[in-house]
Amino acid sequence: MSDFEKKWSGVLTQSQTLKAYKNYVDGWEEKIGSFLEFDPNRSLSDEVPEGPLSGIPFGVKDNIAVKNYKLTCGSKMLEHLVSPYTATAVKNLQKAGALVVGKTNLDEFGMGSSTDNSALQKTNNPWDTERVAGGSSGGSAAAVAAGLVPFALGSDTGGSVRQPASFCGVYGLKPTYGVVSRYGLTAYASSLEVIGVLARTTEMCKVVFENMKGKDPMDHTSLDHTPSGKEVKTVGVLKLEEGALSPEVKNSFDTSVERLKKAGYEVIEIELPTLEYVVPAYYTIATAEASANLARYNGIRYGHAPVFAENPTELMRKSRHEGFGDEVKLRVLLGTYVLRSGFQDQYYVKAQKIRTAIRQDVERWYDKCDVLMMPVFPTPAFHHGSSDLDTFQQKQADLYTCTANLVGHPALSVPSTLENGLPVGVQFMAPPFEEDRLFQVSSALEKEFQAPEAPGYHTDWS
Amino acid sequence: MEKSDLTVTATLASLVLDEAETQKLGDEVSRMLSYFEKMSEIDVDGLEPTTHALQKENRLRPDRGLSNEAQPDELLECAPDLEDRFILIPNVL
Amino acid sequence: MYQSFIGLEIHIHLAAETKAFCGCKANFGDEENTNVCPVCMGFPGVLPTLNEKAIQMSYVVARALNCKLSPNTKFERKNYFYPDMPKNYQISQFAEPVGRDGYIDIEIGDSIKRVRIHDVHFEEDAGKMIHAGDMSLLDYNRAGYPLLEIVTEPDLVIGEDAEAFLKSFQRLVRYLGVCDGNMEEGSMRCDANVSINPVGVGLGEKVEIKNLNSSRFVRKALNYEIERQSGLMDNGTKIIQETRLWNENRDQTEGMRKKEDANDYRYFPEPDLPPFRPSDEFMKEVEEGICELPLVRKQRLMTSYGLGSDQAEYIHDEKFMADFFEKAVFLGADAVQVYSWLSSDVKKLLNRNSQSLEDSNLSAERLARLISMIEDGQISGKIAKRVLDHIFDEDKDPDVICDEQGLVQISDPAAIAKFVDEVMAANEAVVEAVRGGDQRQMGFLVGQIMKVSGGKAAPAVVQSVLKEKVLG
Ligand SMILES: [Mg+2]
Ligand SMILES: [Zn+2]
Repeated sequence: MSDFEKKWSGVLTQSQTLKAYKNYVDGWEEKIGSFLEFDPNRSLSDEVPEGPLSGIPFGVKDNIAVKNYKLTCGSKMLEHLVSPYTATAVKNLQKAGALVVGKTNLDEFGMGSSTDNSALQKTNNPWDTERVAGGSSGGSAAAVAAGLVPFALGSDTGGSVRQPASFCGVYGLKPTYGVVSRYGLTAYASSLEVIGVLARTTEMCKVVFENMKGKDPMDHTSLDHTPSGKEVKTVGVLKLEEGALSPEVKNSFDTSVERLKKAGYEVIEIELPTLEYVVPAYYTIATAEASANLARYNGIRYGHAPVFAENPTELMRKSRHEGFGDEVKLRVLLGTYVLRSGFQDQYYVKAQKIRTAIRQDVERWYDKCDVLMMPVFPTPAFHHGSSDLDTFQQKQADLYTCTANLVGHPALSVPSTLENGLPVGVQFMAPPFEEDRLFQVSSALEKEFQAPEAPGYHTDWS
Repeated sequence: MEKSDLTVTATLASLVLDEAETQKLGDEVSRMLSYFEKMSEIDVDGLEPTTHALQKENRLRPDRGLSNEAQPDELLECAPDLEDRFILIPNVL
Repeated sequence: MYQSFIGLEIHIHLAAETKAFCGCKANFGDEENTNVCPVCMGFPGVLPTLNEKAIQMSYVVARALNCKLSPNTKFERKNYFYPDMPKNYQISQFAEPVGRDGYIDIEIGDSIKRVRIHDVHFEEDAGKMIHAGDMSLLDYNRAGYPLLEIVTEPDLVIGEDAEAFLKSFQRLVRYLGVCDGNMEEGSMRCDANVSINPVGVGLGEKVEIKNLNSSRFVRKALNYEIERQSGLMDNGTKIIQETRLWNENRDQTEGMRKKEDANDYRYFPEPDLPPFRPSDEFMKEVEEGICELPLVRKQRLMTSYGLGSDQAEYIHDEKFMADFFEKAVFLGADAVQVYSWLSSDVKKLLNRNSQSLEDSNLSAERLARLISMIEDGQISGKIAKRVLDHIFDEDKDPDVICDEQGLVQISDPAAIAKFVDEVMAANEAVVEAVRGGDQRQMGFLVGQIMKVSGGKAAPAVVQSVLKEKVLG
C-alpha cells in the first residue's frame, strides 16, 4: 500500500478522523455539489474484507447500481429509485475492501459533457466554480479532484470519464470494452460504454482497475483480460491541424510530448484520416442504442409516474414527457429516427461500417508504435451555460475521446499541466487489453507532473 | 426534417412533444441529421458493420435456477402502483 | 373461383427450467410476480444472458423442420412499446435466425402435404396483462419465457389444413420434448394469415387473424375469413390488409376497433448478446435431440406391425404410447392385441382415472404379460380385464394379482366336472331338453357353470366336459 492509500484506509474507521473528513466534504460540497447522495456510515455496518483496497472510500457515479443506494442516473425519471442490486464492478471492489461512500452527479443518463444536464443538481469545477467539471462523470471527477475520495467510478461512453478527468486534473481510465462487467451500469449506448476509474494517482487507477475487472457470468459481452506485458518504447502522437486546439490545450499537449521525449520515448507522428467521421458515427450509434435502452422507462415498474393517466399509452407518454430532460429527448428522437425503416441504411448501418473503417485506421499504427497520444478535449473546462461552447459544439468536441469507444480500445486521460489555473490532460490509447501500456506512460509523466491540488485540497485528517 | 416526420418519430419513441418542444427539438434533431450527412462522404463499401467490438467466443448460461440478491418483493416495492402482488396501471373502458 | 393462401405463425414456450435471458424459473401458474428478477423486470443496468438449453431446443426444432441451420445465429432488438413488455423492446432474431427455408410433411386426410417453413427464430415472451374494470393488472412471471416462433409459407389452403398442421406440429414438439403443446394454457399459440385471389393470380391482400386459442378456432376462423373475403371479392369490394380478432362467442372474425399504430420495429443487432456459433459438440447434441418423427413412425408402425392406418394413427399420437406399444410387441405380445387393449380397456381406465399412460401403473411389461397369460389359457379375457383394473389400482404385476386374488383359470377337467354335476343336478329339465335335441339350451348351462366357478373355469374345458356328460 502506498502512503497515499494508507492515508485513506483509516478515514472511516476512526471516529475523530471520520468527523473531520465529513466536515471537509461538507465544506467542499457547498461549493461543488459533486455527490447526489453521501453517507459514509452506510458501508460501515458491513464487515470490511481484507484486501488491496481495505477501508478505502470511493464514490460511484449515479448510473451504476449499488444496493440500498439510489440509482437516479441524474434524471427526474429515477429520482426516487433505490437500487435493488449491486453492479458487478462495485461488488468486486467491495470484495477488495473498498467502501462506497456515496453516489456522484452526472449528466442525465450520461448524456452530456458538462454535468449541467443533470436534472437533480448542479456540479461545479473545484478549480473554478463558474466552470463545469466536465461530463458526464463530472461528479466523480470533481469529488476526486477536491480530495473527497481517492477514487471514484465513472462510465465512459464517448469520453465521459476522460474529459471530466482532464477538466478537473485527475487520472481517468476507460478500460478495454468488456474487460469490466457492465452488469449494473445503466445502459446508454451498450456497444460503446464501459465502467471506468477516476483517481488521483496512476497507481490508484491501476489497483482499482485490477480489482474491478473480470469476466462476469451476468454480462455476456464481458471478456477475460489477456495483456501482452509489452514495454512501451514508441509513442505515436496525433498530428493536429492548426487551430484544432485552444492555445492552452495546445501548449499543454506539446509540453507532455517534450516530457516523453526527455523520458526516453521515441515519438513518431501519426495521422487518422477517419477522425472527421468519428463524431457523426458515434452519435448515430450512441443515440440509436439509447433509443432502445431508454425505452424501459415508462412509469410502470419503477420511476416517475404521472398524477393521472387514462390508459397505459398515456401513462407511458406522460411518464416520459415529465421524466426526461431535453437532451435525453433529443437523443432518443435522433436515435429513433436513424433506426427507422428507410433511414437505417443511410445512418445506422453506415455508421457501423465507418466504425470498422476507424478501427482499421487506428490499428494500422500499432505496428509502428506501442501507444497513441492525442488530446482529450480541444479546450480546458468551459463556463456553465453555452457562452463558451453550445451543446452542438460540445458534441463535436468529443472527436478525440469517442474514437476509443468506437473501436473498444483502452484509453487514459493523464494530467498534463495547469494553464491559467485550470488543469489540462492528455490522452493515451492502446490496443485491446493493453491498459498496462497506458499506466507505464502515465507513471513516466507523473514523475514530472502530478495530479495538481485544487485550492483548499488536503488529506490531513488527523 | 418535416414536422410530420418528427411526430411519427416521437410516437415511435413514446414521446409527446408540446409546441415549444416540437420547435426546439425539431431544430436540434435537424441540425444533427444534417451533420450526419457528413457520413455520406466516406466510402465504406465492402466493410462489415461492427456490431460487437471484441467478442470472439460463445457465451451461454447453464439452464439452472439462479438466486438473485434482489427479492421479488423488493422489486415490486419500486412500482408506483401495486395491488397485492400485481402492478397496477389505468385502463379506461 | 378463388384460391386461398394460408400461412401460420406459431409460438411455442420452450420447456426449459429457466427463462430465456435470466435465471428465473420458467414456471407456469406460480403466484404472480414471484419468478422475477431485475433482468426480466427490465431494471436499469441489467443484461441478458443466453439460456443454453433453450437455444439448443431451438436448433432441435429447426433441424426437425428440415431448416438450414445458422452457423452464426444473431439476436436483434424489436422495438415497440407495450405495457407488459419490460424493456419495451423484445430480444428476437431477424437477420440470422436459428433456422430458415425448411419444410414439414403433414398428413391431411389421405394425402401427404409438404408445408414450407420460412424461418424458426428464438425470442422472449412478454408478461401478462389482466384487465379488471378500469385498471389492468400486470404479472411479469411470464416475461422472458423462452419462445420459439415458427413461420410457415402460405402453403395451406383451407381451415382444415391449418387444423391438421397444428395437430401435426403439436405432436412433433411433444415428440421432441421441447414443449407440451398446450394451446389452452398458451404454451403453444398461433396467429394465422390468409389471402384470396382469383385462381392463377397468386397471393392477395394479407389479413392476419389473432386470438386463436385452439386448433378448432384456427379452422373456424380461417374458413369464416375465406368466406368473408370471397363475399367481398364477389361484390368487387377491395380487401384491405388488416389484423382481425376471432370472436369465439360470435363465431366470426372482427376488425380491431382501434387501428394499430403503423409499426416500425426498428430491428437492430442486440449489442448485449454476441452472436452464437454452434460448435461441433453442440450440433452433435442437437442431432441426439432428434427422434424418429411422428409421420415416419406412423408409416413404420403400419409396415412393420401390420397396423391399419387408423390403428397406427392412434398408437403414434403420443411418443410414449408408440414406445410402449413397440416394447410390448418386442416382449412377445401380438401387435393387434396390444393395440386393442390400448385403444379400449386401457383407454377407458386412463379416462376414468384422468391419467396419462405414462403416469399410470401399467407398463409395457405388464401388458405383454397379461396378453400372454390369456394366450396360455391361464386366465380368460374377462378375468384379464379384472387383472388390468387391479394393476391400475394396486401397482402390482399381473401374476401377483392373479395369485393374491386366486384368479388363475381352472382347466383341470376333474375340477370342472364337479361344477358340471352341480349345475346338471339343479337343472334337470334343461338337461333333458338338451338331450331331446334342443341344442340352444347348451349355452344356458355353460353360463351357469361359469357362474358357479366364479368365472374361473376355462370355457373350452367346460364345453367339452359338459358335452360328454350330457350327450355321452
Ligand atoms: Mg414473434
Ligand atoms: Zn428474471
